[in-house]
Amino acid sequence: MTVAERLGLVNYRNQGRSDSRAHIEVDTDICNSTCPHKCTTRVCPAKCYTLDEQGNVHFQFEDCIECGTCLYACDQGAVTWRFPHPEEGRGVNWTLG
Amino acid sequence: MEEKFDCIIVGGGIAGLSAAMTLAKADARFLLIERGEFCGAKNVSGGVLWGSDLARLVPDYWQDEGGFERFVSHRRLTFTDEQSAFSVDFKSDHFKETPYTGVTVLRAVFDEWLAGKVQQAIDASAHPDESFLATDILVEEVVQEEGRVTGIRAGDEVFHADCVIIAEGVNNLLTRQIGLEKEYVPGDHVAVGVKEVLKLDEARLADRFQLDGRSGLTNEFVGACSEGVEGGGFLYTNRDSISLGLVLGMNDLRDKGKTPYDVLNSFKEHPAVADMIRDAETVEYSAHVVSTGDIKGMPSEIYADGVMIAGEAAHLLLNAGKAIQGMDYAMRSGILAAETVVEAKKASDFSAAMLGNYRKALESSYVLQDMKSFQEAVHLLHRQEMFSTVPNLICDFGRQFFTIDSKPTPKASAMMRAAIKRHASYWDLVKLGLKGAKAL
Ligand SMILES: Cc1cc2nc3c(=O)[nH]c(=O)nc-3n(C[C@H](O)[C@H](O)[C@H](O)COP(=O)(O)OP(=O)(O)OC[C@H]3O[C@@H](n4cnc5c(N)ncnc54)[C@H](O)[C@@H]3O)c2cc1C
Ligand code: SF4
Ligand code: SF4
Repeated sequence: MTVAERLGLVNYRNQGRSDSRAHIEVDTDICNSTCPHKCTTRVCPAKCYTLDEQGNVHFQFEDCIECGTCLYACDQGAVTWRFPHPEEGRGVNWTLG
Repeated sequence: MEEKFDCIIVGGGIAGLSAAMTLAKADARFLLIERGEFCGAKNVSGGVLWGSDLARLVPDYWQDEGGFERFVSHRRLTFTDEQSAFSVDFKSDHFKETPYTGVTVLRAVFDEWLAGKVQQAIDASAHPDESFLATDILVEEVVQEEGRVTGIRAGDEVFHADCVIIAEGVNNLLTRQIGLEKEYVPGDHVAVGVKEVLKLDEARLADRFQLDGRSGLTNEFVGACSEGVEGGGFLYTNRDSISLGLVLGMNDLRDKGKTPYDVLNSFKEHPAVADMIRDAETVEYSAHVVSTGDIKGMPSEIYADGVMIAGEAAHLLLNAGKAIQGMDYAMRSGILAAETVVEAKKASDFSAAMLGNYRKALESSYVLQDMKSFQEAVHLLHRQEMFSTVPNLICDFGRQFFTIDSKPTPKASAMMRAAIKRHASYWDLVKLGLKGAKAL
């Protein structure tokens, strides 16, 4: 099963909202200058961190399933991690959990 | 709301709800705040709730149709290499006696059910209109005045209480905010948990796993199933679904350059697992950080003036190989924190000295006693041999032992020696065995 297929099963909040507030911010300047391992591009279970062809890191919060992995895994100080705002943010709504 | 509560609980997971139930039964006035749309909406676990504390909170819960999925009557630990599986298997009718010592749960179902029970306890208490379970609200700050915690802030609103129980789970931002945990915590003592729930018709599931009524199977896996990454797999039976997943050491996952979803795919393809999940359809994919049970991962302290930290927010968890115990620890610590509130209220004293009784109670409970006495087992589990050499060797031996191929058969001891020779040095294994014997 691909990550996309798996995320297709996730029930996200405020899915219709086009302007939902980001709960995680990543300073990709750090990712793309001094980070020696770029580990979040592999350990994030929702593939929110991706590498482009040039090897640059990109981040999107929309698919985030609030697991907390990048809160611990980024040891470079690039990640500002919050919980999503219940009304204006994204985030998950598990049906089984 | 102008009044001051006896207690504010942040988080409606197992720890928070257990604290709330205890407070409701003691007629305390409290406010529990949960950020999810309902209690459980944000929570993930394997998950088996071990122990019998649930019966303390909800007597005769097993008579209820809702809540848990199945009680555990059959346990299995499986060592895997790429093609084989060697299991230690135990099934007993003793496990059918109530109170059960383990029940499988799906958190979005279970937590909501438990919240309903807490609401009933509030309704039956002396202050039914003065305690609240509030969902869909994010606590953004713990309010401190002159060095002591006096309440919480959510948006523009501040609520005050004599004390606050932080039961926010392992992603413990508020524990960090009040300085009991460093602002950045590295991945040394945490793992990444990934999981799928797979639907299977109830009758087929019961047949496939030889279940009777509401009885269930738990199966833990070590070895090739985690592709050499520190950690292991689990398969738990629910009413009409299977919970299947992995808990993978965060730093090891990073250092080996693997991704959790690919390892999950290869776990599902392992022949022993594939046979168990055949025709079952994945209906949910989830993930969450989980503590490893290393005591070094705990915050510097679990109480301060006006505040206590309960559950996995305090990294209370044990994973010593045969089970993950996070939910029962959350339950017991929530109960003990709430009992401390009741005591403090009687004495009108919510100082750090008084709330320190929470730590004392936790120290004399099985939670911190087990965490302390099984630290060596926790460390042993992080050793590379435990998820490569040892399972490979066991499966190699198993393959020889169970093969009958019309040739002269060596004695089992000779097979064992040959297997050891192929996978490890005798001496290393003796050392490991001694360590293991001591650790367990
Ligand atoms: C894959 C996996 C498998 C596991 N398997 C098992 C198992 O088999 N058995 C077992 O015992 N344990 C298992 N665990 C561990 C177990 O799930 C946790 O230890 C347990 O959930 C901890 O309970 P808790 O109440 O402390 O925290 P949580 O269950 O995380 O609850 C915290 C609650 O607080 C809320 N919250 C957080 N911050 C705020 C805020 N600022 N404002 C409002 N609300 C907030 C959250 O929404 C959540 O509801 C597993 C974990 C994982 C990830
Ligand atoms: S580990 Fe941190 S700095 Fe490195 S790529 Fe990931 S987010 Fe960026
Ligand atoms: S919290 Fe988890 S899912 Fe969300 S971005 Fe971080 S690692 Fe990915």
